Amino acid sequence: MRLFTLCLLAACARALHSYEVGVTDWHKPFAGVPLLLSESTSPVFHRSKHQDGQSSSMILSATQSNVLAAYHSVNGSLAWRHLFEDEDNILAFRKDKDVVAALSGPGGAYFRIFDSTAGHLLSETRLHDPTAGLLQEPGSLGIAVAFGSEEKEKDIFVLTNGHTLRRLSRRTGEVSWGWTAPDQTSSVIYSKILVTPSTVYLLGLTKSFASYTLHITSLSPETGELIDSGDIPSRITSGLSEPLVLSDVKQPETNPQIVWLEEGAIKAFPLTPGLKSKSSVVKGAVYKNIEDVGLSEYGQFVAIKDDGSGRVIKLTPEGLKVIWEFSDSATSPQRTGSIYSGGIDVDGFPYIARVFWMHTLKLASAHVFAAHLAEGKGLVTGFTFPFKTGEHGIITHVAVEAANPEPYRVLARLALTTSTGAVQMWQQDQLQWTREEGLADIPVAELVELPERKIASHSESDQETFGARVARQLLDAQDFPQYAVNFIRRFVTGSYASVSSSVAPPANTTEPLSRDAFGFRKVIVAATSHGKLYGIDSANGEILWSRVFGLGWAAQVGGHIIPAKMFVTRTVNDGDSPQVVLVTQRKANNGLVDTVLFHVDALTGDDARDKSQSVDVLQGEDIVSGPLVEAFLLRTASGRAVVCLDEFLQVNVYPNDDETMQALEKILPSVRIPLRTGPPGQRRLTGHQIPKTVEFTGKHIAYPTWSLPFPPSEDIRAIFVRPSDPVASFGKVLGNRTTLYKYLNPNLVGVVTGPPSTAPLSESSTCSIYLVDGAKGTVIYHAVLPSVAGACDVKAALVENWLVYHYYDNEVGVNHAKGYRVVSVELYEGYGVDDKRRSSEMSSLSNETTAVSVYEQAYIFPRGIRTLTPTSTSYGISVKDIIVANENNQIQSFPRRFLDPRRPKQKPTAEEAEEWLIQYDPVLPDDPKRVLSRNYQVAKTRRIITSPALLESTSLVFAYGLDLFFTRVAPSNTFDVLSESFNKAQLMITIAGLALAIAIVKPIVARKRLRERWYN
Amino acid sequence: MRIPLTLLALTSSCLSALALDLKGRVQWNDHCPGIDDLRQAKVVLDNGKHRGGVTRDGTFTIPDVPAGTYVLSVLAHDHVFEQMRVDVLETETLPEVRPYFPGTPLSPPSTVTLPYPIVLSARAKYDYFVPRESFNVLAMFKNPMMMMMLGAGVLVLLMPTMMKNMDPEVMEEFKERQAKMSGMQSALQSGDLMGGISQMLAGDEPKAASSGTSKGASSSGAKHRGPKNKRR
Repeated sequence: MRLFTLCLLAACARALHSYEVGVTDWHKPFAGVPLLLSESTSPVFHRSKHQDGQSSSMILSATQSNVLAAYHSVNGSLAWRHLFEDEDNILAFRKDKDVVAALSGPGGAYFRIFDSTAGHLLSETRLHDPTAGLLQEPGSLGIAVAFGSEEKEKDIFVLTNGHTLRRLSRRTGEVSWGWTAPDQTSSVIYSKILVTPSTVYLLGLTKSFASYTLHITSLSPETGELIDSGDIPSRITSGLSEPLVLSDVKQPETNPQIVWLEEGAIKAFPLTPGLKSKSSVVKGAVYKNIEDVGLSEYGQFVAIKDDGSGRVIKLTPEGLKVIWEFSDSATSPQRTGSIYSGGIDVDGFPYIARVFWMHTLKLASAHVFAAHLAEGKGLVTGFTFPFKTGEHGIITHVAVEAANPEPYRVLARLALTTSTGAVQMWQQDQLQWTREEGLADIPVAELVELPERKIASHSESDQETFGARVARQLLDAQDFPQYAVNFIRRFVTGSYASVSSSVAPPANTTEPLSRDAFGFRKVIVAATSHGKLYGIDSANGEILWSRVFGLGWAAQVGGHIIPAKMFVTRTVNDGDSPQVVLVTQRKANNGLVDTVLFHVDALTGDDARDKSQSVDVLQGEDIVSGPLVEAFLLRTASGRAVVCLDEFLQVNVYPNDDETMQALEKILPSVRIPLRTGPPGQRRLTGHQIPKTVEFTGKHIAYPTWSLPFPPSEDIRAIFVRPSDPVASFGKVLGNRTTLYKYLNPNLVGVVTGPPSTAPLSESSTCSIYLVDGAKGTVIYHAVLPSVAGACDVKAALVENWLVYHYYDNEVGVNHAKGYRVVSVELYEGYGVDDKRRSSEMSSLSNETTAVSVYEQAYIFPRGIRTLTPTSTSYGISVKDIIVANENNQIQSFPRRFLDPRRPKQKPTAEEAEEWLIQYDPVLPDDPKRVLSRNYQVAKTRRIITSPALLESTSLVFAYGLDLFFTRVAPSNTFDVLSESFNKAQLMITIAGLALAIAIVKPIVARKRLRERWYN
Repeated sequence: MRIPLTLLALTSSCLSALALDLKGRVQWNDHCPGIDDLRQAKVVLDNGKHRGGVTRDGTFTIPDVPAGTYVLSVLAHDHVFEQMRVDVLETETLPEVRPYFPGTPLSPPSTVTLPYPIVLSARAKYDYFVPRESFNVLAMFKNPMMMMMLGAGVLVLLMPTMMKNMDPEVMEEFKERQAKMSGMQSALQSGDLMGGISQMLAGDEPKAASSGTSKGASSSGAKHRGPKNKRR
């Protein structure tokens, strides 16, 4: 049976040819926006030596998407990336020659070692149970990674949970010794390690009244035995990561020192195993901050004076010395504050870069200081570079790598991270590459159809003179010869527009955006959580335009914009260029939340409200002064309007003109809005209606009409609705010529519930899935699903009358098997065949909305999934397949025929065979031919969008999450175009052969006939 | 006070005793010769709550697995791995490993036990592609339909000349056989299986015996052609 289904599958699978890779699909891998919380996760340059003596430069970074990644410095391509699980947050990483060590999980539960050139996992060690991890704020507190002081094969010292130090082997991750602070209840939290050949120093802070006191413990690196421990008389009032440990790898004999800021003075304490020294003070100025620029191993750091100017301070055998003061670095209205960053060159000499933005020149400026140059007196080289602040926001982090090709000349490479999530590489003032890593964090995106290419221009005016008309028509006719040639060539060679060809425009064309013959080319409008809106060409994934969100009044105090929903308010079918409205929540840094709308032209990114220039930031409209409860698109007679409900359930309409309001009035009585209400933990579904009367505020206020409370053990986890795709047929004709009519209640809402997040996790808690009539709260379908240790991981999709949901069944017993399940449910009207109730146009007050018959079947799914979505075609005639993003980082399609809930349990009868039903087999085959993403790793997919093409057979698929992936699928094969295997040459040869045969046979036959006449 | 403390110590020691670090190795083979081919992969129990990454040398460790029955699977992008059933027992220090086929009930367990530490090897590499059909004249003529068509064409062209050169006696026999064949075919087509078979059996009999039945059929064919031969 399995073999049969597989054969069948192979027969109906759309051919996926290797030559189509990269033509009909594209994949953009990302690593995510660099995590800048602490120095230990921020981007850093790394030079890895190859076996042939060459070395190549990389940028290592941990990211907000929980990925550890390396980029090639040369071209910005991803060298490697390692995906961490969502609950296993990267806390710190350290590099040393050929390895990168990373700590992740609560309190540093997991420790991994990677090969730095290829990113291979070398070892993985769990240091403690993640549930026993201490959650510190910030997360990098209480953990540290340090490499030993040996020349070769340095072991790794790892500090976790604030009080446990281990020494691990560099190769295998094996623990050679561990030391735990004896008194864990005390308030000492260690957060720094310094390894010298003789001693391992742990630097911690003790909380005392209103300040912190430094605490130092020294251990033997060989055995982990405690040497000494004690407090250093100090009072640190601000910041926990502030104390620095300075040492100098260039002069190992120099005593390492601890440096901290105390009441405007920099204090230092030399470290000796016995901890018997006296702290000293750096005299000369009042400081307000000290910054670790990543050069503490080279004995350098930057101290900021109280006027804002930066000084480089170096550890020398005689103590700390101020070796440089950056000129013009004091706080000034002409420039922003400076970002300091340290880096090293090929020979291991340290450099410190200072980067700032000059308001006067609108340029970014960088000063690079090298202490060892100019005969040890120190040398600064400076340059400005044209950073585009309107496109990338502001610079938030700088990593530097320098080269010193000749004396008195320093070349610097800067890796910038910006507030919009871009990573840029500048070599002096030349931009090398830009990675829009913000695209790894897209909350909402939409596919927007493109207009047709304008072939002939029509004259607008009637008063066109004869001469002008002739001239215009001649101008139009100039393309005719080319057209004629094309026509003939197409006729002869059969080079028609192919469905498996690229729809990307040829390079270097300035033509306006236009769709291709089959409508495969669209614009993907995507908003990121990093304050930027992108227009992406679906043909090749190139960025067509991008806009940075303006903050409105919140620009004074700062804030960020969280996209909530996106609607296409005008399509090409309405004439004119398509437009998109983005509904966002703006969180200002003073705690105020507003709902802001951005309205743009989808082809150019221009502000459709004409309020902001195309080069400037995009300004939005504050539609609600408060948080948003729900937003939806209303299709009125005059067009489409966006309706936003605020927390008082006031109806705010955009655009707010008379025409829209009148259209709204008309359809108000039929609007039903189910909302989740109530406090978290006991949320219920409440239906709302909008009255015709307007309150004194001039706005409608929605009122509740019904409420659906769920059992106390359940809380709403997700709500899903049916996509507004057209439905081609309202019934399904069966083999015996009867009809099942689809249940197409337009108000159907799906709800996934699970145990409240406040409740303790228990094995006995369950999850549920409901289908609710959103007009009156009737439960149409309900299923109770098992939870996995109290967590619900139910994924569901609803299309037409078909509900598909996926969950994990953990039950073990007789005839039970653990595994992933997918359940396919179909709803039909009435209680049997030929029971027509017209559910799609039924009044929501009718009793008959509950007359439903349910067909359902469960299948064993090959593996876990992240999201699932049905395909979508322009008329809904094609079969709907289910596209899933599975845990193997693949995008895979599952055909509807396998998920059909009416698959017979026995051998299909003739009638069933006529419906193309195949026998039920509990295991869904995992067919690699149906992996749409093929060799690409499409990681951490958050959502898949499907969108119709002009061809009814084809559906466009766009998956986003960490990566972007785009392809096309044809669930019922491309029945509306000539197949790819259609061979015009073969057809022509056959016809020619037949014609030849006729030509040869004709005279023979004629002769024969003649002879027969003669002799008969 | 002392009793709860000892209890606590006991439970904690029990807990540590129950949990087990599951170790194993991915055996490199032709389908998957190394970590470069495998890429980032992990070995998971059940739905991924317990898991371990596959390191460069193919080893993996799933830490602290409590007692229970688990389904072990490998999450690898490009390779097919077998699933296994792993039983971590409370009393023993080694888990029991058995093969497992998805969709089959977990109990009763399979009688086959596999060695521990677990050894996994790639069963196949996913093949995502269908080869392209390209145009090829030779391949086109290899198509049975095309070959039949060509054969028919050749026959049409050669038949008259063959007929001409045929010995009248052989001709007669040929026609007879043809008629029998057509009769059999029509009988088969009309669903008269027995008649068709009897016709076929009749064909095997000696010529003399069958001449009686074939006479009537052949006469019609001979009628047209007969005079033609005579006049020549």
